[in-house]
This record gives sequence, C-alpha cells and structure tokens, in this order.
Amino acid sequence: MKGLLRKDLYVLTRQMRFFLLFLAIFALLPGYNMAIFAIAYTAMLPYTAMAYDERSKWSDLAAMMPYTPGDIVLSKYLLGWILVASATTLSLIPRLIFGSILPSYTGNPSALFLSFCVGLAVIAITMPLLFRFGVEKGRMGMVLLIVVVSCGGSGLVQGIAEDGFLPANLTTLAYLGIPLLAIVLTAISLPLSIQFYRHRLKS
Amino acid sequence: MNAIECSHVNKSFGDFAIRDLSFILPSGTICGLVGENGAGKSTTIRLMMGALSADSGRLSILGSDNTSPDFLQVKEDVGIVLDEAYFPEVLNAKQVGAVMADTYTRWDAGTYQSYLDRFSLPLKKQFKDFSRGMKMKLAIAVALSHAPKLLILDEATSGLDPIVRDEILEIFSEFTREENHSILISSHIVSDLEKLCDYIAFLHQGKLVFMEEKDQLLEEYGIVACGSEQLNSLPKEAICGVESSTYATRVLVRRELVSPLLTVERASIEDIMLFMVKGEKGK
Repeated sequence: MKGLLRKDLYVLTRQMRFFLLFLAIFALLPGYNMAIFAIAYTAMLPYTAMAYDERSKWSDLAAMMPYTPGDIVLSKYLLGWILVASATTLSLIPRLIFGSILPSYTGNPSALFLSFCVGLAVIAITMPLLFRFGVEKGRMGMVLLIVVVSCGGSGLVQGIAEDGFLPANLTTLAYLGIPLLAIVLTAISLPLSIQFYRHRLKS
Repeated sequence: MNAIECSHVNKSFGDFAIRDLSFILPSGTICGLVGENGAGKSTTIRLMMGALSADSGRLSILGSDNTSPDFLQVKEDVGIVLDEAYFPEVLNAKQVGAVMADTYTRWDAGTYQSYLDRFSLPLKKQFKDFSRGMKMKLAIAVALSHAPKLLILDEATSGLDPIVRDEILEIFSEFTREENHSILISSHIVSDLEKLCDYIAFLHQGKLVFMEEKDQLLEEYGIVACGSEQLNSLPKEAICGVESSTYATRVLVRRELVSPLLTVERASIEDIMLFMVKGEKGK
C-alpha cells in the first residue's frame, strides 16, 4: 500500500503544487474561515487522485499487481486522512504560537479538531460514491454532498471557533457529535467502498 | 508445474462472452495468444490475473488458484505489460521505480537501472513526454525488474516500429533462457509470435479455436491452390477453410489427409487463422 500512497503523493504534488501551496497559506492565515476551508478542501484531494488514476488507467494495472481491493480502497482513504491531518496540523501551529499574542489569531483552536472530523466525514460520505460510480458519474453526487456537509459543518465549526457565538449546549453537542459521526460514517463507508470496488472488478 | 492452467472458464458480459476456455501453458514455454480485435484476449488476461472474476471455471497461475488468498503472493512472480503502460503521466522513470520498489518485495533497483540504461530511457523526463516505444520499454523494464517467473504481455509490441519490436522480442527470448520462465503474449502481429512462440492459442469470438505447438501447426496445415473441380475431389475431412476468388480457389488442408501427389504450399500462422475464420464463412 505504501507504493499506492507514494504514487498518489507524487501525482498530487506534481499536478497541484501551486494549489497545495495556496491551501498551506490559507491554513496559516489569521482567522478561521480560510483554515476551515483549507481543511475541508484537502478532504476532496483523494477524488483528484482518483481522477488522475482513471485518466491514466492506473487501476487496470494496479488490479494486476500484488494489491488486494482492500489495499487499493484503503490507500485512498489513508491519503485523505493524511492530507486532512496535515492541513489541520498546519492550521493549528500558528494559532498555538500566536494565539495569546496576536489578536487576529485568537479564538478556540480546538475547533480545528472539529474541522478535521468534518473532513473525515466528507471523505467517508464521498468515497463510496466514487468507488461505486467512478469519478465522472460520482462527481455530481459528491459535489452536492460536499456542499451540504462542508457548509453545514464549517458553519458550525466557525461558530464554535468564535467563542460565545453559539449556545454552550450546542457547542458541547458538536464536540461529541461530530467526531462520533465521523467515526461511524468511516466505519460504514470503508467496507462499503471495498464492496463497491469488488463489484466493479466482477463486472 | 504448469505456468498457466485454464479449465472451462466462462465469463459473460451480455453481448460478449468467453466460452469454455481451457488450455495449459507448460512452464518454460512461450505461448502466443492471437485473435481479432474483441476476440477476448485482454479479457482472458484480466481473468487470469484476477482483475475480473470468472462466472465459472478454474484458473491457476504458477500452481496457485487465482481466487485463493495465496494468489496475492503469486502476483509477485508475474510481470505484466498491458497494451499501454498505464503509469500516471506526470511520473518519471525514477519515481515509477520508487513506486514499484514499494509494491514488489523482490524489486531489484539495479536490474531496473540496467534496463533503463539498455533502453536509453531518461530518469527525470515525465512519462507523458515519452514516445510510445519509450513508454512500452519502461513498462517492460518494470515487468522484468522484480524477478518474475511468468511474463504476461497484452499487445505489448503493437504500434512499435520493427526495430524496437525486434529489440523487445530479443529481451523476451533472453527471459526464457531460464528454464522455469514462461511467457504468455497476445499480439495482432502474428509474424512476431511466429518468431518467438512455442505454442499458439487462437481465440475467436470468445472461444478457443486451437492451442497447439507452433511447429506442429506449421507441419499439420498447408495450402492447396486449385480449381473448383479439384476442390470437389479433396476429402472433406481434409478441408479446414476455403478462400475463393474469381481467378483461383485456395484451400487450407490437413496435409496428412490429402494425396501426397498434390502440391501443398506452406501455410503461415496468419494463413491458418484467416482461413479458419474467413474460410469457414465461405464454406
């Protein structure tokens, strides 16, 4: 699976180097809007990697290599998790360093953890669609879901980040509910994606 | 041990089906898989490697059933070259090597580098800027750099100029000098297969028409040029295909079933294939 991850990272860094640079800048900017956007957007990068796979027909070759369908599917989830975790870490660093010094970095950095969970939820919801229908057909459903989940989730996280904006009980609920939701969705999504991928191999 | 055992394999796609495919490729031999476009050559290869699941039948590669969990380990011993190289276009040869080193446990970076040198492939040029010949050479370098025992090549020489093709065929010949090394190669270029192969398997509309030793095929069949009267005098069981034109009739015959007094020309593998497909229609 390391080979699959390495291949995706080579492709993304080569094809999207400026875009990744912008995402890193967004993650480092003061305020929470851009950081939340950067984290949510990185959750969509596995989709880009899959689009490049389809374009080069890499999947046809990978199916003949010593990889199980589980390896191929899990590598895409892992890629998403790594990228979302990297964007979260990058967003967290300046807030932890400058949070108490610079007013523009004040707020509740733990809200970034919720962004991370929203990112995981986006991955969990979109991946089965892509493995079931392929990138082209799965794109419409994926875009719709991303808008709903990202906007709803990001709006909530933004409210939490700006202390006192949301009622305390809603904030507590979000801290419990969003991570739990991300875990449950991932636990359902991963086996479903493997099943869809196996089904595509059979047909 | 046989390199490939294929027993009564069926796979249906609705409008196309592989039907009752059975053949054995003995270890240490080269088999050419021939057939028209859409005959089922690529489907057969995908079925063998488990990239497609058969509806019924049994496929065994290097002694392992391709539906068993052990088959993942066997894939380490199989070098694959498909009709295109299928590497992401932004990768260069160095990166492809790094990806493959993480994919195959017996990846040999030294062997890979020696093939890159032999093929004069640049290390840092992006794959998308490679010519078709260079792309296929890179795919072949990858396939040969993880100590495979079986090479499966799907139209690996199509679209290449004769010089590159000859160079690649020479490499395949070198590969089979090891006695347990085998090759299954599908190609439209029957002359290449005639040079290289020990066995020829002919697929037509998803069905295996024959799989025989090449020399046996060339000995067994011949072509008789004759008129319609002479055609009628030929034993029916000797006739395998007929090609009629305004000026002459050519008949593919089994040599042993016709009179030794008849002039029987040599039939190439391509002739045998064409007669069996076209001649059958013309009968």
